[in-house]
Amino acid sequence: MRPVFGAMTPNAASNPDVIDRVWTRITRTLIDTGRPPHYAELAHWLGVSPSESRTILHAVMDAYPIGWLHPETDYIASFPPLNGLPTQYRVTVRGEQKWFAQCGFEATSVTWLFPGERVRVDVACLDCGDPLTLEMLDGRVTWVDPPTVVGHLNYGFGPSRGRPPFL
Amino acid sequence: MNLFRSEDHARRWPQFRPESDEGFISLHDLVGFFGTESRQHMLDADYLSRWYPRRADERRSYLTQIGKSSPFWLGTPAPSR
Repeated sequence: MRPVFGAMTPNAASNPDVIDRVWTRITRTLIDTGRPPHYAELAHWLGVSPSESRTILHAVMDAYPIGWLHPETDYIASFPPLNGLPTQYRVTVRGEQKWFAQCGFEATSVTWLFPGERVRVDVACLDCGDPLTLEMLDGRVTWVDPPTVVGHLNYGFGPSRGRPPFL
Repeated sequence: MNLFRSEDHARRWPQFRPESDEGFISLHDLVGFFGTESRQHMLDADYLSRWYPRRADERRSYLTQIGKSSPFWLGTPAPSR
């Protein structure tokens, strides 16, 4: 594969254009495959060494703190609205369930990644384990079952939110 | 940040925090909250540099509009007691 940037500058990790493109690449890989890329895969695409790619990945995560790497690793665990790690928010598009939303709130935002497509979210209720289903099309709810579905924020936003991996 | 079958189900959840009693949001409001303008540009090539920085202000504005302007929702420090 031909590198997208040609020769990278030594400070590529501080180049906003590079950060934008890598953010987009990660999101596009999630959309296309249901999983986030590893930095070594990004290295090939970027045309840099894996070590440089790792530095760039960390710069992207610093710029996008609502996502996170799995603690003590360089694996992309969460890149909202989608998640690398499975969650109880299973996302189905075109009859294929291969995505997970970061959380119940972000689940309502996945629709914006699939314009013109019906996005279905199947959830096991944390209380009873029974299913709840939400279907959206271009930002509109087209189906919800049961109709009493609600969102709930257990920790406030901001400093009281708690550790991100444990939303 | 979860979805439940109903408020009753959330309250029965063993990890439900009593302090989060104000943490409920209707599905309608939630869809608006996570569907502000910046969210609709996540497929744009410059999303991270152009649109993501707008997100915080959009969220505050939307939350205030739907009456969720407490520190719990806005992430601002709670008033000292």
